[in-house]
Amino acid sequence: MSGDQFTPDAQRYLDGGLHGELPRAEQVSAERLLRAAESYRDSLAAPDASLDDRVMEAVRLRGRRGRRPEVWRWALESRIRPVWVPIAAAAAAIVMWLALPRRGAPPAPPVLAVAQRSDTVFIRFELAAPGAHTATVAGSFNGWDAHALPMVRNTSGTWTVTVALPVGEHQYQFVVDGARWQPDPSAHAQVDDGFGGTNSVIVVGPKGLVRT
Amino acid sequence: MGPVPESINRGTEATDGDVVRAVLAGDRERYRVLVERYRRAFGRYAVAVLGDADVAADALQEAFIRAYDALGDCREPDRFRNWFFSILSNQCRSALSRRRSQGDPADLDVPGKERADADAERSELAAALEGALAQLTAEQREAFVLKHVDGRSYEEMADLVGVGVDALKMRVHRAREALRGMLEGLR
Repeated sequence: MSGDQFTPDAQRYLDGGLHGELPRAEQVSAERLLRAAESYRDSLAAPDASLDDRVMEAVRLRGRRGRRPEVWRWALESRIRPVWVPIAAAAAAIVMWLALPRRGAPPAPPVLAVAQRSDTVFIRFELAAPGAHTATVAGSFNGWDAHALPMVRNTSGTWTVTVALPVGEHQYQFVVDGARWQPDPSAHAQVDDGFGGTNSVIVVGPKGLVRT
Repeated sequence: MGPVPESINRGTEATDGDVVRAVLAGDRERYRVLVERYRRAFGRYAVAVLGDADVAADALQEAFIRAYDALGDCREPDRFRNWFFSILSNQCRSALSRRRSQGDPADLDVPGKERADADAERSELAAALEGALAQLTAEQREAFVLKHVDGRSYEEMADLVGVGVDALKMRVHRAREALRGMLEGLR
């Protein structure tokens, strides 16, 4: 067989199911591929045990397992296709609205508006802080709770967390080491927080961040 | 030394199911057992698929945390290994997409001279294979790495990935054909 294709016999040989001679050109190519794989394998090192410590640190920061509401954990599950998230969030919003206690006649029908406002988009926050021991995100979307969204440190000292946020404008700050509040230096808008500090601003549109 | 399946040398250690149930019952420190076990089992897979040790460490870390957050959804605790692998596999594909959207994965994050020095310490074939793997589809790359870098059987791969043996063989065969041309001329 010509070109880049291995013959069926060569494929069986590479699968370990043929123990015989191949035509010379096939044998050379097959052996080269096996040597490359072996050499590549020997050059790789799995991440060391410090990774275990970083994971367990994040686990402890999360406190009691399952602290996040079920619907929140469900929304973050990676197997959910992104296209379904806004639809599912809208459906959940409608169900929650229908479940609200009613007094007298049902309220005016803002269902579509509720569904529209409930579109949810995954946003990844990043903060370069190699010297920090902990980092969280506090903002208008989580009641400015400095403990609700712990970030995870990667090997280069960048802290990240991915959050499902509703479409709209949100203000936030990073909280470093549990006490130091700081705006996001990479945010495209900053506003006075009214306490002498600065809040960062993001605008989330249906397709992601809206640059203003 | 060749690849060592993670099922070896487990001795009388707790099974995955035992550990998952303990964590769900509130003993969160036991989660470290699973982290250590599957960092060792899948660490090299992540590095090989992503072509960068730091990016692989981040992907593994994120996968372990996602698995912890969703542990209550692990319907078969005794098959945590397979469930976790699916999370890691998704995480690696996301990381790969991010890297590809930012530029050529082979050139990311590593200054030219530093990369040249690192490559000089490895065989020419290993460096060429790493670059060639980056050109494969995510499915072909995963299948080739599991077969030829991790050294797993097709039956084991099928159990892990949740895809039939014939489909996996096809992916590996296609990967080899693509790699054959890219490695041609090397000794």
